[in-house]
Amino acid sequence: MNSKTLFYILKRIVLALVTVWIVITITFFVMRAIPGGPFLGEKAISASAQAALEKKYGLDKPLHEQYFTYLGDVVTKFDFGPSLKQRGRMVIDIIADGMKTSAKLGVISAVAALIVGVVLGAFAALRRNKLVDKVIMVITTAFVSMPSFIIGSLMLALFSVKLGLLPANGTTAAGLILPIITLALYPMSYITRLTRSSMLDVLGQDYIRTAKAKGVSGTKVIFGHALKNSLIPVITYFGPMLAYIVTGSLVVEQIYAVPGIGRAFVSSITNRDYPMIMGTTIVLATLIVIMNLVSDILYKVVDPRINLE
Amino acid sequence: MKKIIALALALVMVFALAACGKDTKTSNVNSLAVCVGSEPDTIDPALNSAVDGATYLVHLFSGLAKWKMDDSGKFEIVPDAAKELVEGVKNEDGTVTYTYTLRDGLKWSDGKDVTAADFEFAWNRAASAELGADYGYMFEVVDGYNEISEADAEGNPVNPDAKLNVKAVDEKTLEVTLYNEVSYWDELLAFPVYFPVREDVVSNEAWATDPKTYVCNGAYTLSAWDHNSLITLKKNEHYVDNEEITMETLKFYLSDDANNQLSNFKNGEWQLIDDVPTNEISSLKTSNPDEFVVAGQIGTYYVCWNVNEDILPADLGLTGAEAEKARAEIRNATALLYDRNYIVDEIGQAGQVPASSFVAMGMTNPDGTEFYKTAGDSKDYDGYYDVSAEATTSNFDKAIEILKKYYKYDEASKKFTNFPTLTYLYNTNEGHKAIGEYLQSAMANIGITMNLENQEWNTFLQTRKNGDFSVARNGWLADYNDPICFLDMWVTASGNNDVQFGKGAHAGVKAYSLDLTKYGYDVKVENGTWAETYDVLISTIKSCTDNEKRYEMMHLAEDMLMSTGCIVPLYFYTDIYMISKTVDGFFSNPLGYKYFMYTTVK
Repeated sequence: MNSKTLFYILKRIVLALVTVWIVITITFFVMRAIPGGPFLGEKAISASAQAALEKKYGLDKPLHEQYFTYLGDVVTKFDFGPSLKQRGRMVIDIIADGMKTSAKLGVISAVAALIVGVVLGAFAALRRNKLVDKVIMVITTAFVSMPSFIIGSLMLALFSVKLGLLPANGTTAAGLILPIITLALYPMSYITRLTRSSMLDVLGQDYIRTAKAKGVSGTKVIFGHALKNSLIPVITYFGPMLAYIVTGSLVVEQIYAVPGIGRAFVSSITNRDYPMIMGTTIVLATLIVIMNLVSDILYKVVDPRINLE
Repeated sequence: MKKIIALALALVMVFALAACGKDTKTSNVNSLAVCVGSEPDTIDPALNSAVDGATYLVHLFSGLAKWKMDDSGKFEIVPDAAKELVEGVKNEDGTVTYTYTLRDGLKWSDGKDVTAADFEFAWNRAASAELGADYGYMFEVVDGYNEISEADAEGNPVNPDAKLNVKAVDEKTLEVTLYNEVSYWDELLAFPVYFPVREDVVSNEAWATDPKTYVCNGAYTLSAWDHNSLITLKKNEHYVDNEEITMETLKFYLSDDANNQLSNFKNGEWQLIDDVPTNEISSLKTSNPDEFVVAGQIGTYYVCWNVNEDILPADLGLTGAEAEKARAEIRNATALLYDRNYIVDEIGQAGQVPASSFVAMGMTNPDGTEFYKTAGDSKDYDGYYDVSAEATTSNFDKAIEILKKYYKYDEASKKFTNFPTLTYLYNTNEGHKAIGEYLQSAMANIGITMNLENQEWNTFLQTRKNGDFSVARNGWLADYNDPICFLDMWVTASGNNDVQFGKGAHAGVKAYSLDLTKYGYDVKVENGTWAETYDVLISTIKSCTDNEKRYEMMHLAEDMLMSTGCIVPLYFYTDIYMISKTVDGFFSNPLGYKYFMYTTVK
């Protein structure tokens, strides 16, 4: 790695930190501008209880003071504070709990989407305009255009209610299968289409013809030359795919009642659980920023022609 | 090529294998799998204010009293940790003292003795402003609570060291003094906020979030809490009535998705679910008649008006009390336009009961008769309107006659032409929306435009509380079987006074009268404000020790409330749930708490 690349990576890391800080700041003030509050309920608590709670959690101080205190705690102590809704629990513990499940869900979905997508895409490209290719294209087009809440509900109705094959709630290991498939279908279909067109593009290149003409075996041409080169666009899709999986999990976790960070995020907003909103936002934003960074660097590794500047 | 196919096939197999992974069905009849809600906010008895939370707590803790269902299906409050539920002894100053003796052999789940001091500590903790518990006000009947809850303008406690008048005389004797006799006192003792906790346990603020630190004294212990997915309770070997508990393990799955709950119920994984999708209700009633249960619940779904919303035509020229009386008549007239049977049968579909009063069905008079049946002064129907299906037309005609007094009526189109535009506010939810649309169409039918506006739950609560609405959806569920919990929420200073009685312009409106001389009180107000009448009436009721007079005055309070027309009851809530035919010995109390400890599975 030359110094130019190193400098580039450093610069990107600084930019990433700035991005996360901007996200923190915007979220903090926007969140507090939403009407309502964490201690509101169908049955009102007394004014003295309200005041005692606000004091306890420091919500009685001026907003800018709360902001700097929060920022200081996060930066210096990595302290996200206590949840206002789940009394007695720390935000970091709740996030860690949710993360265990969400990470499982996200990583398996991403890996499955990548493997199945690339295989199907390559397969379709090699069988171009044959029946298999057409079937694959029709199916993937359908999945790319169907939002996950429709696919999710359909699969829930079919596999869990009608056929009774899989549990409907994502609390068990078996229960994660449907959410994983739901979450993986869109990126898988997208990767299939991407790989297919990129593969077709590569297969038409001169060097492939040269290789074939030189008598290189078909397998070697495909795996050694064509597939490797056709994966570059797939790698660029890596970042957006993870962003999709992170945001998609918000919906999918809701449908299958998967106890992940996506669900925690959604409910923290409805509850106005301020520290919890901040905590989940920071974690999700950091995740997306890191993934984009990694995919940019990977891009460079796969294709040395690309100039990172 | 073959390799690619092989790889794809291998992947398919991996998925298929994973699919038939472990079998999660409960085959062991010593355990019950149910779902009564999603991840609870807390299972600290003092902090909990949710019905699902209360269900966990009645299994985990044992208070002085508990709910029991007898063989005929009637509910009663029976002693639990107390040897007996004693009568109070009246003191000279009018306060009442109860002295309870704890049963022998009461233990915490870690083996230590349960003492009277644990109750004293727990009650003071729950009532303290410092803890800020939602249900802290449940101690308002206990002497000393007023000092504890007194706060200055900023909300800081005036008497930070104040304590409730409750004393542990010795290890086994607990003495508590109430401001006056309270008919629902025994019921309060069975309420989770009155359960004991131990000082050394709760000094760890996170005690109630982890099975390792969760020390309780009830039928079960918290064995595991897999956050957001499962709470497991195991029979408590230290519980004194251990032998009566028939179900070894309770698995509470955590889910708030009604569709999800139903699929788990249908495939036999869960034996009870507390929620079903509204659109499935009618089919479930026919497909699973033995398993679909509609239980009573003490609560009212209603529409509330903002008392300060001016709905009079500008040219009428009425002001002050006269204007308020006119508005009250108009609001009450619009309440006659709604066909409650349609709302219940076509929209609610869960066995709800059309409501003609605010105090809900299930609340009883001292003689055991339904409070709502003796409400209002009509002999022809219960409550304040005739909500029978036959009365729909006559109600409608009556409403038109009244409204004609104030608004221009176009006989040709049969519509009013100068009724100001209203906005109906509700929280985003399909069910509330459907009801809003019905109300809108009923109003539009006579020329009144009522726009619909929905807000997300928390925003909605804030808007409604602030009084920034003209008409809004509302609902109230009772905490105990005494009508006062429906009535005291409408005093001026109440945090639940969404109607804004006695606030803003209404503060100065002298439109109310109150005469309590016939009950032996020196209170007679004519043309007084809300604060001078209703607030006085409620505080008189709260200090009244003669139960008969007390109930008569509560009827009076509801009469007053209903005369304003600001509260338009639509239906009485029901609690719907599904329970598997294989389960015996289950019951649910009128507050909706579910009891599984005495169940067996066939």
